[in-house]
Formats: sequence, structure tokens, C-alpha cells
Amino acid sequence: MARTLIRRVALGLIAVLGVAVLAFLAEFVVPGDPARAIAPRAQSAAVLQNIRVQLHLNQPLIVQFADYFASLFHGNLGTSYVQRQSVASLIAPRLVTTGWLALAGVVAEIILGGALGLVATLYPRVRAAVTAVNLTLLALPQFVVGLVLLLVFGFRLHMAPVTGGAGPAEIILPALTLGLVGAPWYAQIVADQMADSLSSAYVRTAVAKGLSDRYILRRHVLRNVLSPALTMIGMDLGAYLSGVVTVEVVFGWPGIGLLAVESLQNLDRPVVMGTVIVGAVAVVFFNLLADLVRMYVDPRTREEPA
Amino acid sequence: MTATAAPARLSQARDRRAGHWPGTLIAGTALLAIFVGIAIAAPLFGNPLQQNLIGGLTKTGLPLGMSWAHPLGTDTLGRSELARLAFGIRTSVIVALVSNLTSIAIGAAVGLAAGFFRGPVEAILMRVTDIGLALPYTLAALVIAGLMTAGLTRVIVIITALFWAYPARLVYGEVLRLRHRGFVESGEAMGASGLAVVRRHLAPHMLPLLVTYSPLNAASAVVFEATLSYLGAGINPPTASLGNMISDGQDAISYAPHLLLVPAVAILAITLSFLLIGEGLKSRNPDLARVSWLGR
Repeated sequence: MARTLIRRVALGLIAVLGVAVLAFLAEFVVPGDPARAIAPRAQSAAVLQNIRVQLHLNQPLIVQFADYFASLFHGNLGTSYVQRQSVASLIAPRLVTTGWLALAGVVAEIILGGALGLVATLYPRVRAAVTAVNLTLLALPQFVVGLVLLLVFGFRLHMAPVTGGAGPAEIILPALTLGLVGAPWYAQIVADQMADSLSSAYVRTAVAKGLSDRYILRRHVLRNVLSPALTMIGMDLGAYLSGVVTVEVVFGWPGIGLLAVESLQNLDRPVVMGTVIVGAVAVVFFNLLADLVRMYVDPRTREEPA
Repeated sequence: MTATAAPARLSQARDRRAGHWPGTLIAGTALLAIFVGIAIAAPLFGNPLQQNLIGGLTKTGLPLGMSWAHPLGTDTLGRSELARLAFGIRTSVIVALVSNLTSIAIGAAVGLAAGFFRGPVEAILMRVTDIGLALPYTLAALVIAGLMTAGLTRVIVIITALFWAYPARLVYGEVLRLRHRGFVESGEAMGASGLAVVRRHLAPHMLPLLVTYSPLNAASAVVFEATLSYLGAGINPPTASLGNMISDGQDAISYAPHLLLVPAVAILAITLSFLLIGEGLKSRNPDLARVSWLGR
């Protein structure tokens, strides 16, 4: 167990470092001059050169690389070119905002997906209809679902705000978007696991013992759904915290994804790097966390995979 | 399940022998054929770039509704929505087919190499694959997009760069499962070279897996292309893509919602055609039911 954990953490760190190196290389060959982005109306070359010196942009790439990673290892993500603030202080509040959306989205997924999966298993007559709903939701990109919700509930029915921002009223549509797009995955997990359990020997035994259907469902069937669902929840939380870029753009939700898009447009390299690294950490961390929780609740998964 | 699995599988084997196609496979293939047809015949639907700010808009400057001259109306620049839709579909179909091939080819090569050559090759390739899987997709795509000029090539490069890792993992797992099986070990024992064992014995076993996976991969490619173009990181106007049509349509969301809905329905239908094919292939081969969809 401890060995598995150390191994997984080490592999995760290597992956994050790899993402950081790739992002750095990509970011610094992006055409464009950050000095120009900072001072678009600067007339004199001296002013631009001054900015470049201040930001160490005049140094060779290898020196910049070494500087960046040296401070990264000290937990310092650098300073924004444009906002003159530390990247960490820019990202932290955005991460919280995205965190709320991620959480609300995962809850919506579990409710919608769980309902679809349960209905499909318990009522075979509507199974085909549920499959059709699942496939349709799978086929739709996030931003399309978001825009259609915005069109119907925002612009036509005037039931939801259309102006963007973060708040309890504003979170409903983006969370519903994540929920609808993610639901088929949970529905599939629930349906598969329930089918497995229902045909198992322990459920047959439970029936033979004369236990009620409701008790068997709660005690023997639904419990088995938990383990794979946890993996999925971990993957989703990681992916969403790395920025639900399209949903945040569609709804103007001021999270980390929107920050990344703005920074890319401003050539604000340290902020872009920060969002990419934080995103990779989120992906790795939540996958690991989900696996650990899963090992805790489901002893079958404790063995080290070959 | 265990009790019924065996007869179900037998009947499935019979179905396959008889060339039986499940309904989902037929529906998906037919739908895809329609879209490939539209993609090829796109120029017949009109000029997608022809702006008409006088005749193509109402007197107050709004997009036209449906009419015989413009079956799907016009967009905010008075261009025929039908022509743009046809060319947008062409973009989607090309991206789906090409990037599907490139990403799966790279992924399969990496997975085969990592699974077969143990030791440092395996370690390095699978660590690189881990990095590929840990990338925040949309952000990584936006970063790569900044390196290239807009167009089909950019979209295909981005999708390939992000989509190869998942099939690499799939293939790697499959090779691990097979590499201690008799036919692989006996091939090695007979003195066959590593490459020959991979080519003759391992690669053919990957085919069903990859064939089942590829429509799902193509579906995510369609979705991802639309997403990239919507964000301005894929195919830029005036070239038509379903994603940038939606982005244009968003500006007219309050007065001309069809500009948003028409390309949205097209994306849905194209993706659905691939997903139906995937479902059909899975139902023909229950062993592969675990192959799932990767992207969002």
C-alpha cells in the first residue's frame, strides 16, 4: 500500500513536470512580443527594451528556463506580466470559483447519470429510450449544450441570468451543462455495475433468504456502483479544476479557464504556465485521491496492478 | 449475466458469420454516408463566402429566415447558411477522418513498442503517455494553437498531439495481456525477430480493438474541432467550420437563434453517426464493450 502510494505520487510528479516543461517550451516559442502586449502604444524602442530587461526576456532561453524552474521548485509560480501580481495570487481565487462549478457539475452528473442508469436497469421497457438520450448527450459538445441552455432558459424564458459572473443564480446553467454532458458516463457505470450485481451469486442468495427488493438494492447492489463511480468522480474533478474552459467562456464564469484564455490573448506567459501546471496537478491529484478512496471502500482494488 | 453470457455470445458469433449488422451499425453507417456525400458535394450547395449585405439581409439588417432562395436563411453577413453548413460539414468530416487515422496510428505504434520492448523503452514511452494523459486538454490545445496559423492543418496537428495517448494506453494494456500467451512466446522461441513477432502476431490482435475505438475517437475529434474553432483556436472565419458558425451565431442569439441551432444539430448528427457505428461494433464484439469514449 505504502509502496503503491509512493510510486503513484512519483509518477504523478514526473507527469506534472513533463507537462510544465512542454508548456514552457511551447509558450516561449509562441510568436509575439510580450513587451508589445504590455505597452501596446509605446513608441520608443528603449521603453520596450526596458520592459524586456525587467522581465528577463533579453536573456537566453536556457537561462530563462533555469530561472523559471528554480523558482517553481521553491513553490513560486512567478509574477504576471500584465497584472503586476504574483501568479499564485491571481490563480487562487479563480481556482476557488472553478472549484464551486466543478463541485456543482459533479453533483449534477451524479444525480442525472444515476437517475438514467437506475431507470434503464429497473425498467427494461424504457432502456432503448435511455440509450438514445445517453448517445445524444455524448454526441453534444459542452459549449453547444451550454449555448442551447442559455438560449432557452436565459434568452427565451428569462429564468436564468445571461450576463455572466459567479453567484448562486449564475452557477445553475453551467453546472447543468456539465451535468448533462457528463451524465451518460455515470449512467453507463451504474447500469453496468447493477447488471453485474443483479446476476451475481450473492444477490441470488439474498433473494433466497427472503430479503426485500429494496434492501437488496440498497445493501448489495448499489454499494458496488460506488467503486467505479469514485474513479469517474476523481477524473472529472481533476479535469474540471484544470479549467472548464468552454463552459466558462460560454457563461462568462470567472474561473481558471477564463483566466487562461485571457492570459493567452495577452501573451501573459507566467499566468498561462501557472494555469497549465495547476491544471496538471489537479488532474494527477484527483485521480490519485479517487484511487485511494476506492482502495479504502473496495478491498478488491487493493492489489497492485500488474 | 454469467448464466446467459455463453448463449448470447454463441448467437452473436452466428450473427457475425451470417454478416448480420446490428441496427445501430446500419443507422450510423447510413448517416455517416450522407455526411460524407455532403462533404464531397459541398460546392453544389452554393458559395459559403459570398457576402450579400443588401439582398441577403432584411431591410433592418437582420439575417433572413428560410426561403426558396436561401433554404436555411442567411447569416449576419448575408451569406447563405446552407452553403456554410455544407462546407462546415466538409471541414468536420475531413478533420474526423484524417486526425482519427493519425492519432490512432501514433498511439498504436507507441503502445505496441512500449508493450513489446520491455525495459527503458517501455518506461520512457509510458511516462510520455502519462504526460499526454495528464495534459489539460483545452488549455494545451490553446497553447499549441498559438504556435501555428489557423486552418485544417492546425486542427489536425492539435487533435493528433492530444488524442494519441489514449489509444496508446489501450494498445499497451492489450499487448501486456497477450505477451505471455503461447503464440507470442512460441514465436519468440522459434527465433523470430522482435519486429516480426510484433507485426505477425501482436499487431493483428490489436485490429478489433482499434476498429471499435476509432469511431469513438472520430466522434471526439468532431467535437474537439468544433470546440477549437468556437474558441478561435481552430479554423478561423471566413472559412466555414461548424464551431466558428456557432461562435458567429452566438452574437445573434437573441434575434436569430437558427444561426446557432443549425450548426449545432449538424455537429450532433455527425457525432451521433460515429457513436452509433461504435455502439454497433461493440454489440458485435462484447469483449470490447469496455472500450469507452475519451473526450468531451
